Amino acid sequence: MSSSQPADIEIGTRKGTIRVRSSCSAQDIGRLQFNPHFGTYAQYKSLYSKRESLEQIARQPDANVTLAVVDEQTIVGFGVLAYPEASERWAQLQPQVMMEVKAIEVARDWRSKRVAGRILKRLMGHPSIEEKIAYMVGYSWTWDLDGTRKTAQQYRQMLIRLFEPFGFIEYQTNEPNICLKAENLFMGRVGGSVDEQTSKAFKWLRFGIDP
Amino acid sequence: MRYPKEVVLKDRTEAVIRPLESKDEAMISRFYAAIPEKDRWYMRHDVTDPLIIRKIIDSIGTGNVFSTVARVEERIVAHASLLMRGHGATRHSGRLRIAVLPEYRHKRLGTWMLLDLIQYAMDAGLNDLRADFVVGVEDTAIESARKLDFFKVAVIPEYVKSPRGNRYDLQIMVKRLHRTWADF
Repeated sequence: MSSSQPADIEIGTRKGTIRVRSSCSAQDIGRLQFNPHFGTYAQYKSLYSKRESLEQIARQPDANVTLAVVDEQTIVGFGVLAYPEASERWAQLQPQVMMEVKAIEVARDWRSKRVAGRILKRLMGHPSIEEKIAYMVGYSWTWDLDGTRKTAQQYRQMLIRLFEPFGFIEYQTNEPNICLKAENLFMGRVGGSVDEQTSKAFKWLRFGIDP
Repeated sequence: MRYPKEVVLKDRTEAVIRPLESKDEAMISRFYAAIPEKDRWYMRHDVTDPLIIRKIIDSIGTGNVFSTVARVEERIVAHASLLMRGHGATRHSGRLRIAVLPEYRHKRLGTWMLLDLIQYAMDAGLNDLRADFVVGVEDTAIESARKLDFFKVAVIPEYVKSPRGNRYDLQIMVKRLHRTWADF
């Protein structure tokens, strides 16, 4: 973990106060525990439900793990911004230009309290964000449709509404996993300092074409 | 839904997909004039007729038809439509039609147009999409539709006649639009 701006923001809710912490270190995460609502359900599995997974990401260069915490000890929401795996298409844009919002998740019993937006705001506060192309991939099969009582399309729209205010735009891509379902979503945010050549390379990359 | 949508075709051509606009009348007319006669033969209407073109333009914003075009530079190279009943027993269903200039076929442009209309249909709350194809004439389009989870629901044998009088099967394909996890 090397991104800076450790800062907390507080969200007052009827259920209690949530503290959103940006750029958490592995040590910070190690002191916390997951809300039990993160887990495995009939149609849905939380992306991360073990501290170790988040700790591992927090140790990666430039990664930002942002947590929503209650009672100083329980994680009720998390967001992860990190470089893609080397094997992924998006890692081809070098040197380390693309960063993925790998996860934004709020425990079922703490949803509808605008926590996800606050987490995303903290993720986008990354000090190098204007030099990066941030992106998110929404695979419909990972969405908690039962828990949110939304259709896949409503969930997709919810994601667009969440990301758009932060400058993310829906992009077309022929990336095979994204193309598996029409409901899937790919959004990106090209930082203000990203040069035109890199933006163009990003466009080619979206369609699997070498520049 | 955000427009315009930028796509890059297999041969690196950049195209932009956006809704059909009233000002496109002359361009859409030129587009259909450039579609070979042998392809226009299988279309539902005589798209070289200015009245038909006017009808297409007049349908903009009516709610029953949503049309998009793909532009390369200043030229329309593809036109796609989603036709909706809006009432009655088939209000949950939409019908798709797509036409692409010959030189832009086999470059995945039709697939992008199709994908875009599928997303529009989902936003519009439709449950099913239907597309009809002439077997032996529109096989590439059948394959593209199949890749997007359209499946064959019926074939009307020897329903369509070519200009020379040869008969072809009409294949009806449907795609169910997933709404909940139970549909997956």
